[in-house]
Amino acid sequence: MAEPVLEVHDLHVTFSTENGPVPAVDGIDFAVAPGQTLAIVGESGSGKSVSSSAVMGLLPSNADVTGEVLLDGRQLAGLPNDELRKIRGNDIAMVFQDALSALNPYYSVGWQVAEAYRLHHDVPKKVARRRAVEMLDKVGIPDAARRADSYPHEFSGGMRQRVVIAMALVNDPRVLIADEPTTALDVTVQAQIMRLLDDVQDEFGTALILISHDLGVVAEVADDVLVMYAGRAAERGTVRDLFFRAAHPYSLGLLGAMPRVDVPPKPRLTTIPGTPPGPGSITTGCPFQPRCAYTHLVGERCITERPELTPRPGEGDHEAACHLGRRPEVIL
Amino acid sequence: MSSSVAGTVSPTRQAMRRMRRDRSARVGLVVVALLIVIAAAAPLLVRLAGQDATTYHIDLLDPARGNAPRGAIGGASGTHWFGVEPLTGRDLFSIVVLGLRTSLFIAVVVTLITTVVGTLAGISAAYFGGWYDAVLSRLLDFLFGFPQLVFMIALGIVVPARFPRWLLLILVLSFFGWAGLARLIRNQARSLVAREFVEAARSVGSSGWMVITRELLPNLLGPVLVVATLAIPGYIGAEAALSFLGVGVPPPTPSLGRSISDSIAWVYTGADPWFLLFPGAMLFLAVLGFTLLGDGVRDVFDVRLRRTN
Amino acid sequence: MPDLVWFLIRRLFGALLVMLALSLAVYLIFYAIPADPAHLACGKPCTPDRLEQARHFMQLDQSTLQQYLNFLKGIVAGRTFGDGTAAVHCNAPCFGYSFPLARPVTTLITDRLPITASIALGAAVLWLLFGVSLGVIAALNRGRILDRLAVGVALAGVSTPSFLLGLLAILVFGFWLNMVPVNGYVPLTESPVDWAWHLVTPWIVLAILQAASYIRLTRSQMLEELNLDYITTARAKGAGEARVVLTHGLRGVLVPVITLFGLDLGGLLGGAILTEKVFSMQGLGDLLISAVGQLDVAVVVGVTLFSAFLIILANLVVDIVHGVLDPRVSHG
Repeated sequence: MAEPVLEVHDLHVTFSTENGPVPAVDGIDFAVAPGQTLAIVGESGSGKSVSSSAVMGLLPSNADVTGEVLLDGRQLAGLPNDELRKIRGNDIAMVFQDALSALNPYYSVGWQVAEAYRLHHDVPKKVARRRAVEMLDKVGIPDAARRADSYPHEFSGGMRQRVVIAMALVNDPRVLIADEPTTALDVTVQAQIMRLLDDVQDEFGTALILISHDLGVVAEVADDVLVMYAGRAAERGTVRDLFFRAAHPYSLGLLGAMPRVDVPPKPRLTTIPGTPPGPGSITTGCPFQPRCAYTHLVGERCITERPELTPRPGEGDHEAACHLGRRPEVIL
Repeated sequence: MSSSVAGTVSPTRQAMRRMRRDRSARVGLVVVALLIVIAAAAPLLVRLAGQDATTYHIDLLDPARGNAPRGAIGGASGTHWFGVEPLTGRDLFSIVVLGLRTSLFIAVVVTLITTVVGTLAGISAAYFGGWYDAVLSRLLDFLFGFPQLVFMIALGIVVPARFPRWLLLILVLSFFGWAGLARLIRNQARSLVAREFVEAARSVGSSGWMVITRELLPNLLGPVLVVATLAIPGYIGAEAALSFLGVGVPPPTPSLGRSISDSIAWVYTGADPWFLLFPGAMLFLAVLGFTLLGDGVRDVFDVRLRRTN
Repeated sequence: MPDLVWFLIRRLFGALLVMLALSLAVYLIFYAIPADPAHLACGKPCTPDRLEQARHFMQLDQSTLQQYLNFLKGIVAGRTFGDGTAAVHCNAPCFGYSFPLARPVTTLITDRLPITASIALGAAVLWLLFGVSLGVIAALNRGRILDRLAVGVALAGVSTPSFLLGLLAILVFGFWLNMVPVNGYVPLTESPVDWAWHLVTPWIVLAILQAASYIRLTRSQMLEELNLDYITTARAKGAGEARVVLTHGLRGVLVPVITLFGLDLGGLLGGAILTEKVFSMQGLGDLLISAVGQLDVAVVVGVTLFSAFLIILANLVVDIVHGVLDPRVSHG
């Protein structure tokens, strides 16, 4: 694997609230190399979006972030806001889930893309505008020069997401974080947007962090996968590790909940019983234990001892945080 | 997440808990309670002070200073706690507490009327919709376009002098006052009417009246209460303003606004600023107290009141 | 933009209709008056004969509807009362004729308007600037000392009737400190310095009180606005905090603020009545109050209609400004 452009080590995010500190992310590591795609997968509340906001330094002031965030080896966490500002949108850019609310309704899309460019390049408005139109054209907005003067509400959902992508890519960022970029779109448009992301990644060598709960999308575009559960890493490995050798019961549950066309159909889709624990509500033992179908095979340890991410023997970088120690059999 | 966790405590209980935590709401509550006691017991207090609001005390005035009260602080003494009125020598304490009584009486009655009328109009418009809703909405537009204060002043010319002014004041303030609440409730109720539980109640054959009283009204209690509480200081101010302009409560009924108006000449010359300060402070306290309480109630019920069309 | 033109025409037409309905309502209410204006005009001793003469001269012997039509006609073409040497002319636009003051209502209003307008507009500029900037500052410093201070000022402001604060200001600055003139009005054309000097106290008084609701509105709107996704987008693009707030946040705040401002401007006449009385200025409010005292119906109707006209005009302007400020408002 090539030298990573972005590395995160032992990231902790804790929110101080009226009811005391609430840990949202409890020590995770990941890295992504140029041209590679890392998918961070998990249910809502698992801490995947908080992690990406922490990388961008976009968390509210009541969030306490510790750990290392390295961009080309340079520590970002703890940088003064003014320094971070120069990196945001320039080296690391972000694509949000809901393009309608992510775009400012009061300004034309051309203006908004141009603004992103001007924030990091000292150029006349005209130059920025030309660059914006070029970018809108590149992401597939038809008649971009004219459409640049339209307002967000005048675009369809898919076109709006293209605008957001154009805005994120206008400064040729090294890392692109896409937070559920296709969730708000219908299926055919989803595929178009994912292909677009794939294309630009190939063209610019951008490292992509894809935050998603849609394993179908992940299987298609990701190189590496990080499965998060309750603010911790449940499993980490290549996309093949996850889809063919899933080692964590939670990952298995996620796969069971996904319709697949590449293997013989199961009698029915399975669901994971229960709901994920609230942040900070489980302090000892395995956070997944209350929902886990395999606890009886391990016993007490699941309740008393917290499983750490451990390498799977003979499977390269594949790691899982589970006491079971062997691959769980599918229970139907 | 919120529904499962917060649902275990009843909304009323939650509201009470938040009320106890909100300091300005507590202050407002205390001030308002105090004002209401003073206003209710005003005749008693006046008798306790051994005074009334009508007897002239010419002997307490200084003819050399244009009949301003003798002594410091507007002639305040053990017998006349707030001093006396210039020119007449009437007891200012009596005038102030009885004036507060007048203000609060009018404000509370108007609030009750506008709340009932506005809520009913708003809910029924949302529930029945159609031409009824359309007509009501136009009527509200019309009322909003009306120059209210100007009209209230102008109305003084039309209504016969024998018609009691306090009643006219209540009627006029109510006539314009219900529109704001009606529009707000209509908009809130409309979003409720579209929700499933109202649909469900209708489908099992509940009558319109049942749906309104059992389903809509309880859900609108928060906004209604908030608007009503926040409306009171507005009416206190409006009553005072109209009396200040000489078209409110006529003499001899004591009124804070009229006293303040009477004080203008004494303020210009600086002869007796206390004639402004005592009624003014009482009026300020009354508006402030109800505003604090209203803000508190709004935070407690977590109601968003936005200006929307 | 033919869309906008059509929108304007439709709104103007609508405003005209409302104005007509309003004038009819006002006319019917005030001419149902028990006190007969002719009775006052005919003087003492008032024989039935002279009364009838007066009624005829003032055109009060016609039906109410006919009188209303005369009134409308007067606006367009002017009116003449009586004939021969005793005839009284009221040139178009004639909004009635005040027999007690022996002047057309239009002249009375235009004579007094500069005073009221001077008070109102000067104060409006002050409170808009003051209110919005304090509201923004409060929102940005939420929970801190500046916020508490601004919220406190706002609370005191909404709790103080204008006439009370006006009198206190006269007492403190006019009488005790002897800094500013306490009453009277000097026309702008006579001496701009004296004009402003006489108006500075009413301006500040009105501005402080009105700013209160603008502080509250701006603060709460800005707090809501800062939670929106497109604000996060702006930060993610690398915009500095000042730019986030002023370029991206303020735009959305301005829409409701302008709405409130329009409504307040339209209703300013009402507020100015109180201020005029406090500062002994002979503006429209003074005209109205003395007309009520003298049972001068023509003036009362004229001033009432004029203030209604201002409100309708303000609403119209707000609608148009809305369309300009918010691209989502459709003119179709």
